[in-house]
Order: sequence, then structure tokens, then C-alpha cells
Amino acid sequence: MSTMSLEPVPGRSDEMIVNMGPQHPATHGVLRVVLGLEGERITRAVPHIGYLHRNHEKIEEARTYPMVIPYTDRMDYVSGTQNELPFVLAVEDMLGIEVPDRAKKIRTMFFELYRLASHLVWMGTAMLDLGAISPFLYTFWDREIILGIVEKTAGARMLPNYYTFGGVRRDVHPDFFKDVADFLDHMERRMVDYEHLVLESPVVHARTIGVGVLSKERAVARGVSGPVLRASGVAYDVRKAFPYDAYPDVEFEIPTSPDGDTYARFWVRFQEMYQSIRILRQLVELTPKTGPYKGKAPARIKPPAGERYRAVENSRGELGVLVVSDGTDKPYRVKHRGAAFSNLQIVPDLFEGAKFSDAIAILASLDPVFGEIDR
Amino acid sequence: MSLLQEVWQAVKAIGTGMATVHKRVYEEAPTEFYPYVKPDLPPVSVQSLALVENEDGSERCIVCLQCERACPAQVITIERHRNPEGKGFLIDRFDIDLVNCMYCAACVEACPVSSIVTIQDFEMSTYDLQTLKADVDFLHEQARRARQWYSPKFGVEVRTEDGRIEKAPPEMQPGGLAEILKPAEEVDS
Ligand code: SF4
Ligand code: SF4
Repeated sequence: MSTMSLEPVPGRSDEMIVNMGPQHPATHGVLRVVLGLEGERITRAVPHIGYLHRNHEKIEEARTYPMVIPYTDRMDYVSGTQNELPFVLAVEDMLGIEVPDRAKKIRTMFFELYRLASHLVWMGTAMLDLGAISPFLYTFWDREIILGIVEKTAGARMLPNYYTFGGVRRDVHPDFFKDVADFLDHMERRMVDYEHLVLESPVVHARTIGVGVLSKERAVARGVSGPVLRASGVAYDVRKAFPYDAYPDVEFEIPTSPDGDTYARFWVRFQEMYQSIRILRQLVELTPKTGPYKGKAPARIKPPAGERYRAVENSRGELGVLVVSDGTDKPYRVKHRGAAFSNLQIVPDLFEGAKFSDAIAILASLDPVFGEIDR
Repeated sequence: MSLLQEVWQAVKAIGTGMATVHKRVYEEAPTEFYPYVKPDLPPVSVQSLALVENEDGSERCIVCLQCERACPAQVITIERHRNPEGKGFLIDRFDIDLVNCMYCAACVEACPVSSIVTIQDFEMSTYDLQTLKADVDFLHEQARRARQWYSPKFGVEVRTEDGRIEKAPPEMQPGGLAEILKPAEEVDS
């Protein structure tokens, strides 16, 4: 079988081979899937990626350590600072940099704000794929507030380059904690509407319940993570399994669902948004209003030779990075383990046997971001 | 599920949807009326870069090349020569390729004298990308037009009516007083 298309099977004249993407509006970017269709049923599916390849890992080898941080931002552009954290944590570990407690909490607040922002984008676009337009307008309205809060402190909205070795780049804006608290009040009211519009809608039920069932064994075997894995009944969350930053200080639960279907993945993301609100509420109370925001970091970042893997739980799952240092001021190798990339591996499994229109719903429930998949 | 139940479910769903939409109609719209109403950007917002001159028109930049070294996209090109009378260096060439710049503000953070700063002027759309290959005059002009700018060392600075450069009051500073009281860090060049 050639890699770029599907060969017809001899004697199967009723199978039609169709290209979905890379410019298909429901592929959330530039995914191309070659589908074998028998009527409305999908018989085979071969995904092709790489249309957004920008050579991140190679570029990062030619940059000094502080220079790598803004590049990591540009992988998963929907969830901003979440991409910077694994690299920052890995280098901090190698150098033994102490991070002040307050800086950890600020980092965690930004992390959870971006989780909310990312899940709002997912909700809007997933509902758009199912044919509902107004949730998209409402979720982007709310996301705008989050990005406004981030911009006030970090200076940019989507690619803020805010974390640094030893803490964060600058202290939060004086209004930051009040803004976040106001936003959480607003968001709690909004979540009621979203439940009505999305989770309780009979249209969504009809399109998602029992569609694209991913079994626990299959999910583990394919190495998926994040909400997709938890919707298949595996309670694995890096925030609990390998806590980092301020997560040991806050209380939250890992929502799981045993069903593994598209609706379960929707449901798990919803519950995660409630948990994010809960974490943020605690952190608004816990974080000191003033204090250090950056620990002592050497002027020249030169980790000793060796390697380090650190992972965080971003909006899509386990986002890891392996940093190999050869003792110079540039990393020898930076390998990213993308959550969306690993989650995309189950596309052929889930597509086979599904109806074509269900394929769109299944893809929406995986929440792929192609900046990170293609890197 | 009987047909009656299904019809009832559908009617209920439409009713809930309509009620939600109706609720939003009376909320304040988040729409912005750009370009008629300019957005109110926070002072730290990184929209473009500028090279600030002193009040008397002399160069603030000491041509130490820190920004060139810190730039991850490697779009800054500086050439310099020794000042024949006195100390330091003079600029021969100071180019920033604003097309390939990723507005990460690493250069602004590296600058020891807050010469290169971020400004809020984002209206740089053009038909010809070559016009965004900024040279030193372009960057000076950006700074002359700006009413306020930001750099981590000095915080927010404003240009007053009579052309003086002043540090903005604490309520305009992004990190509050912490930003102003922070001692200047040692420069290693
Ligand atoms: S903002 Fe970043 S990419 Fe642009 S010139 Fe400065 S350091 Fe380079
Ligand atoms: S870091 Fe500042 S002073 Fe040094 S060359 Fe750049 S703009 Fe000039």
C-alpha cells in the first residue's frame, strides 16, 4: 500500500476512496484522512499528518536554553504557557534551581487558566462540527476574558513566553487575583448554560452516545492520555501521578467515565473544567498577593551533561519533553512527547466501522491541535 | 422511547436553547468597533518594537549586542564601531526583521539600558513585507510616535506633552510597586 493513498482491494468494487482534508473545516487544522467508504460506512482510514511541520526540535538544538522557551509556545498554540512548563521543569531539575512557592502557584494558575481556555475552544469547535453555531460564539466570548487576564500580566494573549527558569518573567498585574475571581464567578454561571446547550442536548446525545467506543485495553495499548484516556476508565493524570508545581497543595479530583464513547469524552472535559475552576478558586485564596516571583537562576544556563524527562498534564494529555544536555549552553537534543499526537493514533481504530458523519464527531472529541502534532 | 416522548424531548431542547440565547441578548456585547474605537491595550502588551532615544535626541542604546544575542528568531542585526571621541560604541546598522520577529520580547528583557522597548502600536499591516524590515530610523520613528512603552528594567515610561520622558505612576505599572522598586540587575557583557 502506498503511503499517500489507499489502493483499491481487488474484487471490492463497491468501495469508494475519498480524501478528507487537509482543507476540510472539520479536521481542526490540516489533517488529511484517506477513507475507504462503503456507502456511508468507513471501511478503512489512513491519517496523514505533517502539513504544519516547522522543524521545532531541530531548531531548538541550535538555540540556547532560554531561547527555546518561546519556541515551545508555538507547538500547542491553544494552550499557551502549558507547553513551556515541561521544558522549564526539566532544565530546573538539571540545574537544581529552586522555585519560590509563590512562583509555583502563579505558574499553576496560568496553567489552569489556559486549560479552561483550551477546553472552551474545544467545546466551541466540537459543537460547530456537530452543527451548533451559538456555543462557538459564547465560548470564544469567555475565552476572550481569559486571554485578556493573561495579556495584562504576560504581554501576549496566545503565545505569552511567560515562564522562565526559576519562576515567571514578571510579577502578576495588581488586579490579577481580582480579575481571576471575577472571571470564575462569571464562568460558574456560564457553565450552567453550557450544560444545557451541550451535555443535556438530545441532539448531542443522539450524535455521540455509543459512537466511537474506545476500550480501556485499546486506549492503554495505543498510549493515549488525558481526557481521552480518562473517558475510557483509566484514572491516570500526571498532576496526581507525578505532581509538579503547586498541584500537591490543592484539592481536586480526576473525573473518569467507564463508557469510552464520544459522549464520555465530552463529559470528562466538562468535569475537568469544573475541577479547573475549583483549583483556581483555591489558588486565588492560597497565593500570597506579594512576594518573590522568580528564584535565583544562573545568568548563563549551562546544565551539566545528562538527560531529563519531565511531563505535565496539559489540556490534551501528557505533554513531555526529553532534554539531553552535553554540558554546553545549547541542548543536544529536545524531544517533545505530544499529547495530541499520541491521541491521534487511535483515529484508524475509531473510524473503522463508523459512519462518515460520526467520524467528524469522533475527531472533535479527540481535540487535536495540529501545531503540536506536526511540530 | 415513544414518538410522543421524542417530540417532547425535541421541543424541550429547542426551548432551552432559545432561552439561553435570549438571556444573552440583554448582556453587553463583547464586540469591538475597531478601527473606529481603538482597543485599550494593557501597557505590557507586546505589539511592536521601538528604539528609544533620550530626551535630548541622543542615542540611549550603548550597542552592547545583548539583544542580538538573546533573540531566539535571530532577526536582529547590529554593526558598530568604536566612538572616536570618548567611550563606547556607535551604531552603524541596527536592523530588526519585524516580519520574522515572533514578539517574544526576549530582546527587551536583555537590554541593560531599556533602549529597545515594546510598544502598543499594532497597525503594521502592509502590502509589501520589505517595509517591515526595520532599520534604525524606522525604530526611532516608532518610539517618537509612541506615547508610552514598556521594558522590564524601567517599567512603563510615558512621553509627556512637552516631550519629556517620565516613569509612569505606580498604578500604571504592570507588577505594581514591585516593578519599580526592583533594583537594576548586574549587567554582564
Ligand atoms: S521580540 Fe523576540 S524575536 Fe523579536 S526581535 Fe526581540 S528577541 Fe527577537
Ligand atoms: S541590548 Fe539595548 S543597549 Fe544593547 S544593543 Fe540592544 S538595544 Fe542597544
